[in-house]
Parts: sequence; C-alpha cells; structure tokens
Amino acid sequence: MFDQVEAFHRPGTVREALRLLESGKGRARIVAGATDVAVQRDQSTRILIDITCAGLSYIRREGGGWVVGATTTMAEVEQAAGMRTLANGLLARTAAMCGSLQNRNRATVGGNIANGSPAAELPTALLALDATVEVATLKGRRTMPLAEYQAARRNGGGRALLVEVGIPRPPGGARTGWAFQKFGRTALDISVVNAAAGLQLDAKGRVKSVRIALGAVAPAAMRAQAAEVLMTGRPLDRALLAEAGDAVAEEVRPITDVRATAGFRRDLSRVLAMRALEECALQAGCRL
Amino acid sequence: MSGRHSVVGRNLRKVDGFKLVTGASAFTDDIHLPGMLCGKILPSPHAHARIRRIDAGKARALPGVHAVLTYRDVPRVPHTTAGQAWPEPSPYDTYLLDSKVRFVGDRVAAVAAETRAIAERALRLIEVEYEVLPPVLDMEQAMAPGAPVIHDEPESTKIYDASRNLAGHILREIGNVQEGFREADVIIEREYRTQRQQHCPIEPHVTICWLDENNRLVIRTSTQVPYHTRRQVAQILELPVSRVHVIKPRIGGGFGGKQEMLLEDICGALTLASRRPVKIEYTREEEFYMARTRHPQILRLKMGARRDGTILASHMRVLATTGAYGSHSATVQGNTGSKVLPLYRAPHMRFECDVVYTNAPVAGAFRGYGCPQGFFAQETLADELAHELGIDPLEFHRRNVIRLGDVDKLSAQLGEGKEGLPRVIRSCGLPECMERGAAAIGWEKKRGAGRSGSGNLKRGVGMACTMQGSGIAGIDWASAFLKMNEDGSFTLLAGASDVGGGADTVLAQIAAETLGVTLDKIVITSGDTDFTPFDVGAYASSTTIISGGAVRKAAAKVRAQVLELASKMLGEPVEKLDCAGNEVFTVCECRKAVTMTDVALQALYKEKLQIMDGASHFNTDSPPPFCATFAEVEVDTETGQVKVLHLATAVDCGVAINPMQAEGQVEGAVAQGLGYALTEELVLDGAGRPVNPSFLDYKMFSAKDMPKLTTILVETEEPLGPYGAKSISEVPINGPTPAIANAIFDAVGVRIRKLPIRPEDVLNALRAREAGRVEEGAAK
Amino acid sequence: MKTMQLRVKVNGEPMEWSIAPGELLLDLLRRHGYYGVKRGCEEGECGACTVLLDGKPVNSCLVFAAQVECGEILTVEGMARGDRLDPLQEAFLDHGAVQCGFCTSGMLLSAKALLERSPHATAEEVTEVMAGHYCRCTGYLKPVEAVLAVASKKRGKR
Repeated sequence: MFDQVEAFHRPGTVREALRLLESGKGRARIVAGATDVAVQRDQSTRILIDITCAGLSYIRREGGGWVVGATTTMAEVEQAAGMRTLANGLLARTAAMCGSLQNRNRATVGGNIANGSPAAELPTALLALDATVEVATLKGRRTMPLAEYQAARRNGGGRALLVEVGIPRPPGGARTGWAFQKFGRTALDISVVNAAAGLQLDAKGRVKSVRIALGAVAPAAMRAQAAEVLMTGRPLDRALLAEAGDAVAEEVRPITDVRATAGFRRDLSRVLAMRALEECALQAGCRL
Repeated sequence: MSGRHSVVGRNLRKVDGFKLVTGASAFTDDIHLPGMLCGKILPSPHAHARIRRIDAGKARALPGVHAVLTYRDVPRVPHTTAGQAWPEPSPYDTYLLDSKVRFVGDRVAAVAAETRAIAERALRLIEVEYEVLPPVLDMEQAMAPGAPVIHDEPESTKIYDASRNLAGHILREIGNVQEGFREADVIIEREYRTQRQQHCPIEPHVTICWLDENNRLVIRTSTQVPYHTRRQVAQILELPVSRVHVIKPRIGGGFGGKQEMLLEDICGALTLASRRPVKIEYTREEEFYMARTRHPQILRLKMGARRDGTILASHMRVLATTGAYGSHSATVQGNTGSKVLPLYRAPHMRFECDVVYTNAPVAGAFRGYGCPQGFFAQETLADELAHELGIDPLEFHRRNVIRLGDVDKLSAQLGEGKEGLPRVIRSCGLPECMERGAAAIGWEKKRGAGRSGSGNLKRGVGMACTMQGSGIAGIDWASAFLKMNEDGSFTLLAGASDVGGGADTVLAQIAAETLGVTLDKIVITSGDTDFTPFDVGAYASSTTIISGGAVRKAAAKVRAQVLELASKMLGEPVEKLDCAGNEVFTVCECRKAVTMTDVALQALYKEKLQIMDGASHFNTDSPPPFCATFAEVEVDTETGQVKVLHLATAVDCGVAINPMQAEGQVEGAVAQGLGYALTEELVLDGAGRPVNPSFLDYKMFSAKDMPKLTTILVETEEPLGPYGAKSISEVPINGPTPAIANAIFDAVGVRIRKLPIRPEDVLNALRAREAGRVEEGAAK
Repeated sequence: MKTMQLRVKVNGEPMEWSIAPGELLLDLLRRHGYYGVKRGCEEGECGACTVLLDGKPVNSCLVFAAQVECGEILTVEGMARGDRLDPLQEAFLDHGAVQCGFCTSGMLLSAKALLERSPHATAEEVTEVMAGHYCRCTGYLKPVEAVLAVASKKRGKR
C-alpha cells in the first residue's frame, strides 16, 4: 500500500516540516489525520511528514475572533466550548457532520481545507464566516481569505503549509442566526449539496448582513454573492427568501456524478439555501 | 413463543458467540502460515476483448514472485462457478483463465508473490495485447441481430442459445392467461426496472490454499458451499475429490455472494504452481465488481381482476442479465416467477423469461434469489389494481393470497432448472401476519391520512405480502453425525455452513432438544469436508429445515441408542423412558434416573461401545415462510427525499428455533431491503467500468438511517420442518421495496417503477404530476 | 527496506516493534496477531478496523503506524479479563447483537469509549456512534439495544 515510502518524519516545528517538504523535492507529502492521504494512496510519495506534533493543535481567541490550528481535529472543533458558542455553534455543528466519529477523531481542519474536495462541509461554513487561512513557507507566513487559498490551491499548491484558520468576529447581537444544511443520500454520505448561512437583522426586521455559502456545487465552496446582494437592506419575508433561492440556483455551477445530476443539485441548492436562511431567521427572532 | 420445549424456542446465546466477541482467530484470514504468498488477479480493463498476446516473462523474473499463471498454464475445463448441486443448472461457460475477457474485471492472469506490494508490481509487469471487441452493455440489445457474441467458444455447454447471448429461457403457464384476461373487469400492465445490488459482506471474499503433509490441497475459504467448492475445484484443477480438503471457518457475511466457487480455483492453481501457501483476499473495490451482484431485471407485469377484487390472471415477462457468465442465471429468474406469482390464487398464470449475457460484472445468488425483483413488480402492481378497484390493499390481499391447504401448481413447472414438484401449503400464518403488521404500523388510522395538511412533508403507509421457500424441494439435502462423549456431551458434526446467521446454534439447539440435554452439552463442528458429512450448503433458506432435519434424524437415532443402554441400566423398558435435562428417567411416580454422564461412561468403558449415528435428509416440498411488510414513510416534497419512519415485518417462519436469532435475520434482511429500495446501485459507465465500487460512493443504510423496526414472529407448525420450523433468512428482504413504493403513493400520489427510488426520481415524478404529464415511472 | 522502531502500549502491554515507514496501523496489528482488528474496506468507511487510540475510536486502516508512537491502543482482545467478559460483550451475546461477528470488534470498542465518556448514553448518542460501523447482518437494532442495556444498568447503579 505504502511500501514505497522510505521515511516517516514527525517534525516538532513548522520550520522543520517545511525544510523536510523542501528537501523532499515533490516526493514528500504532508500528513496529519491521514483520512485523505491514506485513502488516496499516491504511489509517488516517498516521504511522509506528519505535522501533528508541530504545535498546530489549538483553538483560541485572537483579536475579536478565533484561530484554529491546522491539525485541530473535527471532533475537537465539535466539542470545544468556544466553537459551540461562536456564531451560534455553526462550526461545531458542521464539524459534527463530517463523517463517522472515528474519522472525526482524526480528520483535521487544515487537512480538510488543503485536500480541496468540492463537497467538503467545513469550508462552506468557514466561507460563510469570512474565514482566513495562514500559510507558511520557508520564506515566511501569509494570511489570505479562504477563497483565495482555494483558488491558489487549484492552480498548483507548491511547497506551502496551511498552519492556521482564522475566524474574524462574526456579526453578533440578538438578531443574528447561523445555520448549516447538508443533503446526502444517507446520513453519513459526503454532501450532495451543503449550505451555510448567516443572517443579521436590524431593529426593523430588514437584512443588515447576510452570508450564503454552498458546497458541492462548484469546484470549491462558494458564496452566493448575487443572492446576498439581493437580500441586503430588504425586509425579510418569504418572498425575499424565494427570490434569494432563485438567485442561488442561478449562481451555482454543479456537475452530474454518481450521487446526483446537476439539475437536482441546482434544485437542492435553492431548497437548502432557503432552509438555512429560514433557520437563521428563526434564531434571529423573525417569524416568517 | 411456545414454551413447549426446553431448548428449541429459547433465546439462547450463540454457541460461537464467545470467539466472536473476543476477537479470537476465527475467520479465514485470521491465520498466518509460514511462507504464505499473496495472490492477486490481473483484471481486464476492457469489457470485451480477446487476448492476442500475453507475456508474463518480466513478472516471473521479478524477485519475490513465485508463480504467474495465464490461460496457457492451466487446464481448460468448462464449468459454472455457481454453488449448486451437481449437475448444476447453470451454463458451463467459465474457465479458470481464458484467452477472452468478457467484462471489466474478468481474469486475465494471476500471480503469487511474497508481499502484496510485489504481487501488485508483478501484475503491472504482465504485458497484454488486447484485441478490443465491441461490448454488449444494454440488456435490451443483447439479443438484437448482429449483437457481438459473448460466448462464442465451442467448449461451453448448457447455454440456451449462445449465438443470441441467451444464457437461459423460461416459459411456464398454468391455465390460460388470455382466457383469464378476457374475463377480467380491470387489467393493468406495467413495466418495472431493478438495479445491480452488491452483497457488501463486511468480510470480502478471501481464500487461503496450501498443500498439506499428505500433498492434499487444503482450501480454507470464506464460502457458503464447501462441498460444491470441493467438487468444482477438483474438476477444474483435474484433481481427485479425495485430494481436496475444504475448511469453512467463521464467515463475515455471505448473502448469496459466497454461494459461489469464486477464488478457490485460482488460489489452488497458484498453490499447485508455487508449492507454497497462497492467500487471495479481495479488496473492497474488487469485491464490488469482481465478485457477484444481484440480477438486474426489466419486468413487464400484467394482472387482471374482477370488480370484486379477485385476481384472475397474471402474466409476467422478465428480461434479465446475468452479466458475463451464467452462474445462477436460470434459477434466480425461475424464482422470480415461481415464488412470486403463486402468492395469489389466480387460476391463470404465465411466466416468460429471457436471461441474457452482457459484458458486465457477473450476477449470481443474492438473498431473495429473484424474489425481490418479482415482488417489487407484483406488490406495487397489486397496490395499483386495488386502488383502481377502490379496495383497501389489506382487504385486497386477504381476498387473494394463497391459503392453508392450497396447492401451488406453478412451482411444479419451475423447479431448479427442471420439472419441480407441486407445492402444498401445509402451514400458513399469512392472515395473522397481515393483521398484526397492519396493527403495528397503524394502518387504519394512517392510510391516506398523511396527504392532507400544509407543509412539504407528507406521510403515507404501504404494504406488501411476500413469500419464499425453505430449501429446494427434491434437491437440497444435508447430513449430520453425532457421537457421545464421557461427560454426557455430544459432538455434532454437520456439513451445514453457518455464515453468520446462527446456523450452528440452531442446529445445536435441535440436537439438544432431541437428545434431552442442555445446549452446552452439544459441541458442534460444521463445514469441513474431511470431518463433517455432506451438506449442499447455506442457500435457498435451507439450513434450519434441511440441515436441521438431518440433525433431528441423527439425534433421534442416537437418542434411541442412549435409551436402549439406559433401559438396560435402569432395568426398565424403553417405552417407559424419556430424556430431559441431561438425564434419562422413568416416566412414572417412582422416578428412577441415570445421568447422561452415567450412560456415557457405561457405554465407553463397560459396553465398549461408542454411541454414535448419522442421518441424511431432504424434503420433497419447499414450505414457504410468509411475510407481511408495512412501511410508513415521510416524503419531503421539496427535495424528493423519502424517509422511512417505521418498518413493520410480520413473518410466519413456522416455529422459531431461536426467536432472537430469527428476529436478527429479519432485521438484517430488512436493512438490505431498505438499501435495495432507496440507495444501493452498482453503476457502470458506457464502457462497462464500475463507477462507484467503494463504500464512499455505494451507499448502504447505516445505523443512523434505520427506521423504527417492529419484528413480529407469527408461529405456525410446519409438518416438514424440525419442531415445526420453516425458514426466515430470505423472505423479509422482499417486502420493504414494494411496501415503501406503495407508501410513497399513499403519501404523494406518485408511483416509481424503477429501483433504487432516489430523491430525484420522486421529485421528477411530483413535478410531472403537477404539470399534468404522465411519465414513464409515474402515474396519476 | 528501511525500518523504524515503534514504542506503543497495546492492551496495557508495552510493545516495541519494527515497522516500515509507510506501514498502516491495521496491517501492523494484524501482523502481530491482533486478529480481532478486521480488514473490511481500507478506506475508513466500514469501521471494522476500529481500535481505541488514547481512548478514542479511530479507523486503524487510516492511521500510519508511526503516528501511534507512545500512544495507547485498545483492541477487542483487551476487553475481556481472561474468562470474564466486559459487560458490553455479555450484552451483545444476550441481546443477539452478534451474527457473523465481523463488525463486532469495532462496535464493542466504540461502545466502550462512548460509555466511558457518557455512561448514561441515550439511544441517539448510541446510534450516532454506531453509525460509524457498517453491519450487513443485524440491521443495527440489537447492537444498539445491547449498548443501551449496559448504559441503563450503569444508570441503575447509584
């Protein structure tokens, strides 16, 4: 299976990991929870670099928001008190939907993002929270919006290491709501479509800010920007939700695969976006 | 359950339970033999091709490789891989290795090497030049004039018409359906399509072979059919049967996929070539498309009834594909007719079937054996008929289902590949199954009730009645042997194959009951061709009734020997004696007794006699277990998702030897039926390659998907079964699919006639109905 | 082939094993005779290979052996004490939760970990944990019942 692997390293620092990655010259692969690496069985890998000992497992407050180390597991996100309160527990609830408990005990936030599956759940929620990622190379560290990382990754990653995810302070107050919806063929399926939404209303029940993100309907998780623009500033009612749903259905770029047709994914995008927004509305104290 | 017996009818712990819960070495792969090699098969990348050139030189030269086999290195013996009694009623169209490949995954070559990695590398070094041939992938095109011929080899036999890719053809009629339809007031005709389902045993196929100290080929393998495997491997490798020893350890699930000689021949060949132990273990991916699947079918069913609901005529036409090889091709499809149509007492029935070859993964036996397909069609059409006539489906069933004392004449026509025997219904609890199942689901209250109300969630209930068989009449048979030990225990040697369902326990319970001992006094060994007497194997729901029948007979003979000796010891006539609780005692007020231990010691050391005997058994009939399945579903009309809320199964299995194990069989079968109905399908692309051969992409029900399950065991007493038992392992898989389809109709008024019923299909049907259109697969 | 030394505790016993750098934990354990750890899919979907790593259930087919350095592993072989079975093992037998037994080891370990952190686990919690174990034999009902029976026994204890 991995008989061709010649060395397995467990560096104690990010710097060391990067040096090993550099000297590996394309035959080295970063591994953390291994739930993707061990399945992919890339036969060209000769060196594995396990970064779970490099001090990247943490969840803590920073500035007004939070930072999550790249090797924090899904289970840790699910159970952390901070994650259960941040944005009404959006990330904790989303992490709980990332496969079986055995896999959540190993799969990491950084690995999930770096693996870049279009159907992943956590990036959708992170995108809705305007998350950033910090990437380290031997030349230094850089922070960028998650969407930029995803685009760069698709254009060839290079020898960079995702070390941290940053979540800025989300819009707060009593009139906010955050929701995540997932549709699969069975309970533990990978997403056929998933959606994350965040809503903030003003005193008059108008949409002060809204985020709608979707997964499994494009090469990477995406924000439904047209729908967001459409909603902002308008009173929240069923008609607005329907309009937003239609806009979402227009914006998504789903494919057909063994799990679903593109047409069905488009339909689901509308429904899940609307349901996520409805859930947010309820949390925000708005009866539709 | 009946409290009449002391061991039979009790929820006793599985006799093999201790080793299973402690993770002891019990399964095929749980051993390591010094020098054991890893065997791997090179699968064909093409659906249909000739091997123009194959050069294994580089592979053989790789250090660590001990054997490489191509078609030139092995005997060419046409055979079937189907685990059936000889002469097998399946085409002899398969070869150990061939110069032609007929599906993506077909065997091209095999290697045995010191490690898995070396074996995989060796496979990549085998040079193959293919002449790619046009494949036949659409079963509806297989018999078209000019279609590529998949089996054009002259040596194959028992193919119905190879030139038309027709593996099997069946035509049977009782009465005259034209006449029947003429008398009918309402006639409905519909078409149904079913998919490729894979067994997904959690333990994939695995076989280990070695040559023992007597130069005999030992085969330790995950199989349901050790004896058929022994015979077939001997035939294929041109060895005498006496030189082959098959051992069946604990099996991690079979469900029909292991009613097949699948890896044993090639593994044995590699052992003979390398003179080393060889293990071949399928990866999960290989298990999906290089093992067996259920037969996909297109069924056209026409039923006619009188206004009062009496069904007069049923005409079923089936087109099925067996994939590239014809294992179980005629017999599975024969069941689709013979076990399904006679559920109703229609005087006129006609069953026609063509089973074609396609260049696709091979279909074979799978729990239900043709019945899930047939009942999906029949029970949804019956529901439509009842609806058309304005009769409640429950009442419609009551009026039409087969009854105690009836004779099923269609079975006489559709025996396993030849004329069968008429089936007499000597036990039938179906009416009680229907009543109790309906009550459990809340039929009266819920029927039609969930459609009203606002909101996107609609609820509905649906039902289906189904039946199966218990062993194959006149063909399935078994034998068992018992000998008595010093401590009053008995060693039971049974040829039967416990593949996880608890057969060893059930057989031990039957033996214990008959002998008058407690369960712990039976030590059972099963499924070893050197030590246990013959048994056809675990299939056709035969183990409890046939193997159990043999055990009962053997135990009765041994009991007679025990009583004879005890009679001598007690100075009382045999007629006054009885056995129970590990004792033999006089049935009178002055109770005189000897323990089983006393008798054993007397026999072994005083009489110098080994108390022992054996017996063989078969039935000339196949008493059906009956099942009524009720489903409550909730349909999300915005997404088409169907959530099953409650699945109630009421089964008449005769007397349940171990009710807890029997319930377990129901619950497991239902879970597979739920997947068959809603989520499972092995998909092939346009080139015949499997698209989703992994658990990630092929979805089974997990614990979180399961609905509330209600299991009701309805007891009847079957004269042909030991202690009144019939069978239970297959029948519950037939009901969930039609019950769910019917419940969907009750909830939202659409009928889906293809499987699996995916959310998209429901959504499309709902939209079509709204638009006033009637589409294929939907109805008003 | 280059090997590494691994120090790990398995069922309470300290082990020092030679491993290949890319070796997977599943292969390592079965190589050393822990046959209770089953190979079902090698892609982390079926849960048959589940072991407890530092008390948490993980799919051993997706853990590199090198990653468990200084860790503590519990396999099903470590649940019983000689003839004395763990209450979960007893419950599985009493409730008919074992059919073919191939998924049983994994289920027992996940259940054990669950009851250790949540002794009065609810049906929903048990089902959530069992969802990581494919079983083709039982339909899951009796395994869930067996775990709940042990949980409610713990509830009964004061």
